[in-house]
Amino acid sequence: MTTLDWAVLLLTLGFIFAYGLWKARGASSTHQYLLAGKSMSWYPMALSIMATQASAITVISTTGQAYADGMRFVQFYFGLPIAMVIICMTAVPIFHKAGVFTAYEYLEKRFDAKTRLLVSIIFLIQRGLAVGVALSAPAIVLTVIFGWSSTMTTVVTGLVVVIYTAWGGIKAIAWTDVQQMLVLLLGIILALGVAVHLMPADISFFDAIRIAGAANKVNPLTTTVDWNDRYNLWSGIIGGTFLALAYFGCDQSQVQRYLTGSSITQSRLSLLFNAVAKIPMQFLILFVGAILFTFYVFEPHPVLFHSTQRAQHSSLEPKYAAAHAERASAARAYIQGEEEALQKFRAANDEMQQLRTSTGVNDTNYIFLSFVEKYMPAGMVGLLIAVILTAAMTTISGEINSLATVSVIDIYKRHIRASAEDHHYFRISQLATLFWGIYAIITARYAQNLGSLIEAVNMLGSLFYGGMLGIFTLAFYFPRVGANAAFIGVIAGEIAIFSARFFTDISFLWYNVIGCAVVITTALMVEAVKYPSSQR
Amino acid sequence: MTEEKPPFLGSWTRVYTAVLLYLAGLIAFCGVFGRIFTP
Repeated sequence: MTTLDWAVLLLTLGFIFAYGLWKARGASSTHQYLLAGKSMSWYPMALSIMATQASAITVISTTGQAYADGMRFVQFYFGLPIAMVIICMTAVPIFHKAGVFTAYEYLEKRFDAKTRLLVSIIFLIQRGLAVGVALSAPAIVLTVIFGWSSTMTTVVTGLVVVIYTAWGGIKAIAWTDVQQMLVLLLGIILALGVAVHLMPADISFFDAIRIAGAANKVNPLTTTVDWNDRYNLWSGIIGGTFLALAYFGCDQSQVQRYLTGSSITQSRLSLLFNAVAKIPMQFLILFVGAILFTFYVFEPHPVLFHSTQRAQHSSLEPKYAAAHAERASAARAYIQGEEEALQKFRAANDEMQQLRTSTGVNDTNYIFLSFVEKYMPAGMVGLLIAVILTAAMTTISGEINSLATVSVIDIYKRHIRASAEDHHYFRISQLATLFWGIYAIITARYAQNLGSLIEAVNMLGSLFYGGMLGIFTLAFYFPRVGANAAFIGVIAGEIAIFSARFFTDISFLWYNVIGCAVVITTALMVEAVKYPSSQR
Repeated sequence: MTEEKPPFLGSWTRVYTAVLLYLAGLIAFCGVFGRIFTP
């Protein structure tokens, strides 16, 4: 990186965090620290919700995913607007009117203390596992691309997050998220512009999309019905709706965002903004990956983007370079409308893909940053690194803040020390934030060999979200179901999900549907056995 | 806390319907986009 890149990186990061801390000055109570005093308007909440999802993983991994597998991953988000509408109709007014700090606090009002405790623990396990993955994403990639120390990158990133999260609470997080989202969009658009600009002169923007399409990378809609296919219209709409319902309706890292709203209307508008903006944003990021594919059709590159693994597979390079030249030539012929060029292009592309697969290395997470490092002009590299680091930081800050909130409100205040001064809980919240931040730094060291990071995070979430969604569905829609039936239902739901994971090939997007269905069915059956219809 | 009307379209039902129609439009766009550029 050049001096200009370092200057851009440090100035961008410095401005974002100084602004966030300045906006959050004066927090001195748990209500202000954990819920921003319920004073937020819709637009910082909306951008904060989007930023929490748009982690470094989104930038690094989604572009690589499109390069390797095409744009069909966008279908994963098709259920999100449906879920947002359902949550706006049910969860938002219920949580607001209940006056709770956490979603799980509501479960005690509806069921009992043990149900609240069980779901809180499930959340702490699930989110606790994911936070390490989120923190490890920039470290493992920046280590390989720029040669930075993995430990130093993880520790420095983690410590910065802990400092501003512990100091400013959720308001600091929300306002840093706003800046981060704007920088992220700017960085992605700049990367797209540079990739298009660097294409050969005889390849237009639309030619570039056609070439990506010829390699089946422009496939944002696939309508095949296949239970084992991760991303198609049906898994996106049905599985995606359930996953988004669980994420936005039951996951404290999201619920806490819209609980900071000054009214039900403000909270609803923040979620509906996401319903409208999320799919176009993911489409744009995936589109960058598809365009990068075309860029590399003409730009020679090694078999692997993972530079430290490259030397072991150097014997493949001559064959790969020959196939690359053949593919570039066929791509030009295809654009010029020559017959049979498409078949030649696809044959050469398949050969290159087979050579990459034969290495046994999954390096999709390195594709985007390799492009940034080698082809972006001075200054823009610093901005893109800032995008990745701030994306990681805002996701982690939201996660450790929610982990701290559940630890303090649902565990400490409920089961360990119920009656203390508010100032005590405020200090404990700061300490809990510190604890979860250090925990994230430690676990990030173990999350480095998980393949595509975005899939790893979604997979982890799907193991637990079905059970959580099931119990909240019971709470909202089945007033006759009691606490014991709901508790047994959650246990049965989690057993079903883990069975599906370890004994079947069913795609993880369906785990939420399965888990939720098993929770509801089991609870209704227990309730029916306990209270036969004749006794009601 | 009072439940207010949305700042546009007059009722929440209309807002939700507009969001779902927008989703249908996005899915249709994805289908058309793929068909145009994939041989």
